[in-house]
Amino acid sequence: MKRAWRRRMLLSASLLLTIGGLAGCSGGADGNKNTEGAAADGPTPISIWASLNTNVSITLKNMSEITAIKEWEKKTNIKTEFQHPAVGAETEQFNVMLASNKLPDVMFVYGDYSKLYTDGSIIKLNDLIDQYAPNLKKILDENPEVAKQLKADNGDIYAIPHLRLGKYKTFGGMFIRQDWLDELKLPQPETIAEWETVLKAFKEKKGVTAPLLYGAPPKLTTMGPAAANFLEAYGITNTIFLKDGKVVFGPVEPEFKEFLTTFHRWYQEGLIDPDFATNDQKTFDAKILSSQAGAFFTYIGGGIGRYLPALQEKEPEANLTAVQFPVVNKGDEPMFTGRSWEWSGAGATITKSNKHPEETVKALDYFFSEEGHMLKNFGVEGVTYTMKDGYPTYTDEILKNTDGLSVVQAMAKHFIANYPFVGEDDDRYNEQYYQYQQQKDAVTLFSKYSDNTLKVGLPPVSLTNEESSEYSKIMSDITTYRDEMFIKFVIGAEPLENFDKFTAQIGKFNVKRAIEIQQAAVDRYNAR
Amino acid sequence: MTRKLSLVWLNYKQNKVIYWMALPVVLYFLVFKYLPMYGAVIAFKEYTVGKGIWGSEWVGLQHFQDFFQSYYFWRVLKNTLILSFYQLLFGFPAPILLALLLNELRHEMFKRTVQTVSYIPHFISLVVICGMVVDFSSRDGLFNSIITFFGGESSALLSEPGNFRTIYTASSIWQELGFSTIIYLAALSGINPELYDASMVDGASRLRRVWHITLPGIIPMIVILLILRIGGLMEIGFEKVILLYNPNVYDTADVISTFVYRKGISESAEFSYTTAVGLFQSLVNFILLIGANRLSKAVSDNKLF
Repeated sequence: MKRAWRRRMLLSASLLLTIGGLAGCSGGADGNKNTEGAAADGPTPISIWASLNTNVSITLKNMSEITAIKEWEKKTNIKTEFQHPAVGAETEQFNVMLASNKLPDVMFVYGDYSKLYTDGSIIKLNDLIDQYAPNLKKILDENPEVAKQLKADNGDIYAIPHLRLGKYKTFGGMFIRQDWLDELKLPQPETIAEWETVLKAFKEKKGVTAPLLYGAPPKLTTMGPAAANFLEAYGITNTIFLKDGKVVFGPVEPEFKEFLTTFHRWYQEGLIDPDFATNDQKTFDAKILSSQAGAFFTYIGGGIGRYLPALQEKEPEANLTAVQFPVVNKGDEPMFTGRSWEWSGAGATITKSNKHPEETVKALDYFFSEEGHMLKNFGVEGVTYTMKDGYPTYTDEILKNTDGLSVVQAMAKHFIANYPFVGEDDDRYNEQYYQYQQQKDAVTLFSKYSDNTLKVGLPPVSLTNEESSEYSKIMSDITTYRDEMFIKFVIGAEPLENFDKFTAQIGKFNVKRAIEIQQAAVDRYNAR
Repeated sequence: MTRKLSLVWLNYKQNKVIYWMALPVVLYFLVFKYLPMYGAVIAFKEYTVGKGIWGSEWVGLQHFQDFFQSYYFWRVLKNTLILSFYQLLFGFPAPILLALLLNELRHEMFKRTVQTVSYIPHFISLVVICGMVVDFSSRDGLFNSIITFFGGESSALLSEPGNFRTIYTASSIWQELGFSTIIYLAALSGINPELYDASMVDGASRLRRVWHITLPGIIPMIVILLILRIGGLMEIGFEKVILLYNPNVYDTADVISTFVYRKGISESAEFSYTTAVGLFQSLVNFILLIGANRLSKAVSDNKLF
C-alpha cells in the first residue's frame, strides 16, 4: 500500500501537486480517508477502523464480507468499508493513524476515550444517542450501573459500547491435565502449597519440561496472565488496583516479594517452563500439544476449544479441566478473577471526520434492537440458527461445518459473537459455544467468585488529558522496569535481597503521582 | 545576475536530458528527506494531535532533559555504542581480510565458489535471517545441538543478556561479509600488475607483496568506507534488534532506536519525547561523521567531502 503510494508519488512529475498533497498530512486539514457524501437516495458510506479477529481472517479478508455485516448494511441503508491494521501491529498503526490525523468515520477501539476526545479526534455522542439511538438509550436508562461506567466524569459519552449484561463475564483461567492428576491420585490444587506438590509430581513422575507452562503472547508483556494468577493468590495484582477502596500499585507491596520468592524457587526446581520469557504463541501451543505442559492459563472458548480436541486426537486419554484461581491459605476466596465489567471497555467512536454522524449512530444503534441483537450473536435465521421452542439454536453450518471450519471459525464467518463489537453479548451464545463439558464446568468454576473482583478491580475511570499523558509517561517506564526485573528475580539474575532497591526505583519513577492520579479518577467515578 | 541566469539557462538547454534525469532524484530527497524534517519541531513542543504541529505549546528542551535524566538513558546509549563498536571492530576488517585472501587465490573455480557462497546471505531478507537465527538459538535449535554434541548444556541462547551482542555481531558479519568483499575486490583489480612483477624481481615474498602493494592499493577505499561507517555509528539497525530481542536481554540489546519505537508507537504514544530522542541520535551521528572526515583529512589525503 505504502509502496504503491510511493511509486505513484515518484511518477507524479508535478512538484506542485506533490507538495500540495503532503501539506495535507502535516496540518489539521481534514483527512482524506473518510468517505465522501453520498447521494440522498443511495446508502450512506461509512469507513470503520477495527482490528481483524484471527478467526475471521481464516475465511475472510475484510469484515465487510461477514454475513451479519452485509445484512446490517441492507437493514440500515449504509455501505461499510472496513480498514484493518496488520495483525500484531494494531497499536502501532493506531498511534500512527492518530498522529497523521487522517481518520476514518468510525474507530472501534479499546482505550483512552477522554484523551481521544480532548485531542479532538472523536466527538461527543450524548445528543446523538438521545436523538438517534433509542435502543441504546433504553438500555442505559434501565441499567444505571452501565450508564455510570460508560459516561466520563463530566457525563460525556464517547463510545457506542460493547456490553456484557449476562452471567458470562469470566473467559479464562488456569487449566490442568486432569488425566495426570487422576493417574497420580492427586486432588485439584487450591492453595499455592498444593500447587507446588502437584507441579513437583508432574516434574518427577511424568518427566515433563514445563509442569507450569507460562509466558505467552503478546510477546513483550512478560507478566502474563498465568503468573498474574499466582501473584493474585497473594491478594495483589501486578498493576494498579483497589485495596479496601484505596488505589494501590501491586509490585511495591510486600506480597510481591513473597510471590517472587515462591516463583524463583519454582523456577530453580524446574517447575516453571524454563523458556517462559521467550515463548510465543507457536512454542506455547507446541508444548501443550506435545504433552510437555501440566498446567497453563488459557481462554475457555478459543483456548480449550482448540487444545482439547487436538490433544485428544494424539492421546485419547488426555483431559484438560479448569482449576479454581489459587489462594495462599486454605479456605480463602480468590479476589481477582478477570471478570469484565458490564461495559467491556471496547466501543465504536465517531471521529471528527465523519460527515454523517446521525446516520452512523442510527446504524450502530441497530445492534441494540431485538433484531440487530439476534443478527450480531446468531446470524441469519434459517441459515446459521433456527428457533426451537423460542431458543435460537445454531445450525450445522456452525456446529458441524462441512468446510472443515471449527465452531469459532464458522461463527466468525457469519456473525460477531466471539470478540468485542458494538452491541450486547448473549448468554445463549456461550451456552452453545462451549460445547465440551470441560468448558461448561470451567465457566461455573471461574464465575464462582467473580463478584469479589468488583471490590478490587479498577472501575472504568476516565482521566483528563494532562493526567493521561502524565500517567502514561510514568507508567510506561514503570511497566518496562517491572517486567524486566520480574524476569531477573525469577531466574535469579537479580537476588531477592535487592527487592527494596526495586521498590525504591519504582518510587523514583514517581509511582506516588501515578497512584494519586488514579485515586482522583476513582473518587470522581464514585461521585458520578 | 541576469548573465548568470542566462548561463544556467544555456547550460540547461544544452543538457536538457541530464537535468530531467536528475529531477526524480532531487524530488525524492526533497519529498522524503527534507520535507519530513519539519515534523521534527515537535521535539521542542508538547505535541497533541488535536492542536496539530503548529498549535501545540513550545516546551523548549524539556524532552531532552527528560531523556538525559531517564533511568534508561545510559543503558540505551551504552548498548547503541557498544553494538556499533562491535560492528566496527569485527565487522569492518572482516571483508578486507577476505578480499586479501581471495586475491591470493590462483584457482579461479574455487575463488568463484567461495565468493558466491559468501554473498548469498546478503540476498535473503533480514526477517528471514533473523527467523533463522532465533530458530538456531532456541533450546532445541542447531547451536544447542552442536553444544550438546560436545557435551555442553543446552539453554535458550537468546534469553541470555551475555550472548546477545555476540549473536548479533556474528550474524551480521555472516550476512554481509561476502557482499562487502566485492567492492574491495574491484579496487584490487585496479592495481597495476607491473608493480607485482617489479617486486618479484626484487625478491619480495608473498606477504611482503600484500603489505607493500596490495594494501596501499586499497587504502583510499578503506578510509572512505570507514568514514561512512563512523557516520552511521549510532544508527544501529533497528529492524534487526527488534527481530532478535526480547525483554530478557533489554540489558544488552535495547538501543536508542528500539527504545524510540517502543515509547513512541508500540507501548505508548509519546510522540514528542521520542522525536527528541531520535533527534539526539541524529545529532550525535552528524558530529561523528564530520569529526571522522576532519580527522581523515588531517592524517591523510583521503576525504569524503
